[in-house]
Amino acid sequence: MSEIEFLSWIRGPGFQIATVILVAGVVIRVMEILLLGRKANLAEAKGSEMSSGLRTIVTRSIPDSSTFKRSTFTIVAGYIFHIGLFVTILFYAPHILLIKDIIGFGWPSMPTQIVDALTVVSIIALLAILAHRFTNKVLRYLTNTEDLLVWFVTIAPLVTGYMAFHRIGMTASTMLGIHILSVELLMVMLPFTKLMHAFTLFIARWYNGAISGYRGVQS
Amino acid sequence: MSASLERGIHALKEQVDSTVAAFFSSCVHCGMCADACLFYTETGEPERTPINKTEPLRRIWKSEYTLFGRIGKMLGLAKKVDEKLLADWETLVYDSCTLCGRCSMVCPVGNDIALMIRKTREGMAAAGHAPEGLIGATTRAVTIGSPMGVKWPALQAQISHVEKDTGLKVPVDVVGAEYMLLLSSMEIMNFPEFIEAITKIFSKAGVSWTISSEAFEATNSGIQIGVNDIAAELVQRIVDAAEKLKVKTVISPECGHAYMAIRWEGPNLVGKPFTFKVRHILEILDEFRKDGRLKITGKETQKLTYHDPCQISRRGGVINEPRNLIDLFSDNFVEMPDNGKMNWCCGAGGGVSSNERADEIRLKVFQRKKDQLDAIKPDAIVSACSNCRIHLEDGLEEYGMDIPLMSLTETLAEHLADD
Amino acid sequence: MSQIISDEEFRQALHNLDATQQRLVAAQFVEHVLPLSNEERISRAVKVAADKNASQDELSAALKSAKAATMDSHTRCGSEGNWTEQAGYFVARAAVASLTPAVQSKSNPAWQAAMSSRMARTSLLIDDESSEISTHSENEWQYDVLSKFLNS
Repeated sequence: MSEIEFLSWIRGPGFQIATVILVAGVVIRVMEILLLGRKANLAEAKGSEMSSGLRTIVTRSIPDSSTFKRSTFTIVAGYIFHIGLFVTILFYAPHILLIKDIIGFGWPSMPTQIVDALTVVSIIALLAILAHRFTNKVLRYLTNTEDLLVWFVTIAPLVTGYMAFHRIGMTASTMLGIHILSVELLMVMLPFTKLMHAFTLFIARWYNGAISGYRGVQS
Repeated sequence: MSASLERGIHALKEQVDSTVAAFFSSCVHCGMCADACLFYTETGEPERTPINKTEPLRRIWKSEYTLFGRIGKMLGLAKKVDEKLLADWETLVYDSCTLCGRCSMVCPVGNDIALMIRKTREGMAAAGHAPEGLIGATTRAVTIGSPMGVKWPALQAQISHVEKDTGLKVPVDVVGAEYMLLLSSMEIMNFPEFIEAITKIFSKAGVSWTISSEAFEATNSGIQIGVNDIAAELVQRIVDAAEKLKVKTVISPECGHAYMAIRWEGPNLVGKPFTFKVRHILEILDEFRKDGRLKITGKETQKLTYHDPCQISRRGGVINEPRNLIDLFSDNFVEMPDNGKMNWCCGAGGGVSSNERADEIRLKVFQRKKDQLDAIKPDAIVSACSNCRIHLEDGLEEYGMDIPLMSLTETLAEHLADD
Repeated sequence: MSQIISDEEFRQALHNLDATQQRLVAAQFVEHVLPLSNEERISRAVKVAADKNASQDELSAALKSAKAATMDSHTRCGSEGNWTEQAGYFVARAAVASLTPAVQSKSNPAWQAAMSSRMARTSLLIDDESSEISTHSENEWQYDVLSKFLNS
């Protein structure tokens, strides 16, 4: 297969397949959760479920100082690569153009140097996180194959994107093709792995806040 | 009811709902829950990571309640729940967890891990993998009415002692009383002064109250061992008595899990809302304070701090009330580092102190509370749970620390103004 | 000093005693219920409490020992309670109270020792209703002891 054929398949059918799997998979996973339902709480409420749940969705992103001291690396490194992913995906000009093609509108982009720097920082953070998984007692115990697989499909788009932009490695179009392939791999893996947290954490955090808020405690 | 692996698996299945599914779907193995759990921080043993304790429940959720998990099971790829897993998990689910809920406050994706562990216990218990001490306590609770075998005549003797000491009447089985007080066996056996304190306070407050001879026990061993049916039966006894006596409010005493059991789990266990209110004794005392029914005199001069019993504060919602009450008799109060809803567990609740096998680890993890105390060096500790109290005393003694424990209710009673 | 006949008088009179007097009177209360405990540490601790000339070190050591005995004798949450044995727990608590310096105790320690001693008696009664000595007679016995102490 020539470079051009590879790239057009990746951008065309490949992308379509990945999108279908992603969307169908996410819908199935989320419905699976919601359809289980939960029993109504018959105890006398002390606070509101809805507002506490919504608040926790936001406040759970802010650890208290004691927790921050104890889990500093996990929190800081985690934030770095999440923010890095967020900015590189949504604020890099070529990505915005792609999105505009799909949904009909875009938004201002960030300067490429910033995106570039954030990419590097995120890659470093992810490498450190991998090392941490092997050196930290708790993480060593918890880490399984899925964790490693997910790590790989998360860092791959960042690395291949960087390489594509800086014209490292293979030809520009092949590198681009590999980058898009890595993204499609991430999309396809998402419904089957803990990457689902990107969607389900809103549900989980809401439940947490709701359960606790019912009892009058903001969690 | 005979225990078996099938019953255990069935019990675990019943526990899976949308909350459990959302939680397991979101866990990213970040390990932050371990940093929040004193059973990990003070032992350094990674198996005690909170989310790890839920493994039996997770396997059931995965292989029975997710499409991809079910497909995996058909292909023979699912991780099973077998006797070995449950046996291996017993010390994690029971000895290393008090259901304190600190992990639930910290998980970045929002998992209520303590709830998941509570649910896991349902499966463990049904399969016969609960600690001896808890099984004994639960049997006694069901057959005798108290996990410690305290029968009505024993409580009557304590009551008559209180009446002679105070010259006040302790109302028993009074129909139409506003409040019905429950007592925990721990209080009746180890801290009977609590009954005297309540009698004095309520008498001065001028409210009508009573104890029921048919349902005086607050402790719910069913909650601790994790058998909803038993927990429900114990709650139903209280409901029956409260309805028979037509009381408006049932009061949960200074016992942590008792409050969670009757206040928050109660109606859900018996399947019906209560026709009466349930309040913790601290909530009632705070109401008395607001209504001006609590005349307090004199101040404690020593430096005091408050230990938040997990089931009352973080999991129960009674956080400000004790502080309002302490303000009445203390101008020298200092909070622990990490206080209120983020306070650290004493290490003994949720069945841990009933479990002799857990004695060593229970005393080991006390180091966390010791560190908190070392940071502020209080002269005395105020608390509102008799189990926390005895365990804190035990831990302080073990570590050679000389800090007396004070029950909040008893201290208020001592400071009642004569009129 | 007239005979004490009520708890109010009793408590007030105890409150007015100095630290050493409280200890000595408290020791008497505990000695009376000592047979309800089979803890060697407690009988030794009470002997120290009853000694007018006990040194600070001896008192501290006795207190520590009595506290340890209290922890060992309490009924663990959820375990099967035995009221006869529980009496020993209350005797231990009475011993601790008798040795606790007044400044640390929330109310006067001799009063606490008296209360715990009565609890020990009540405990025994729960198991053995036919016991000759009722709790109220324990109160009266304590009033007698204090009255004699004040008159001496």
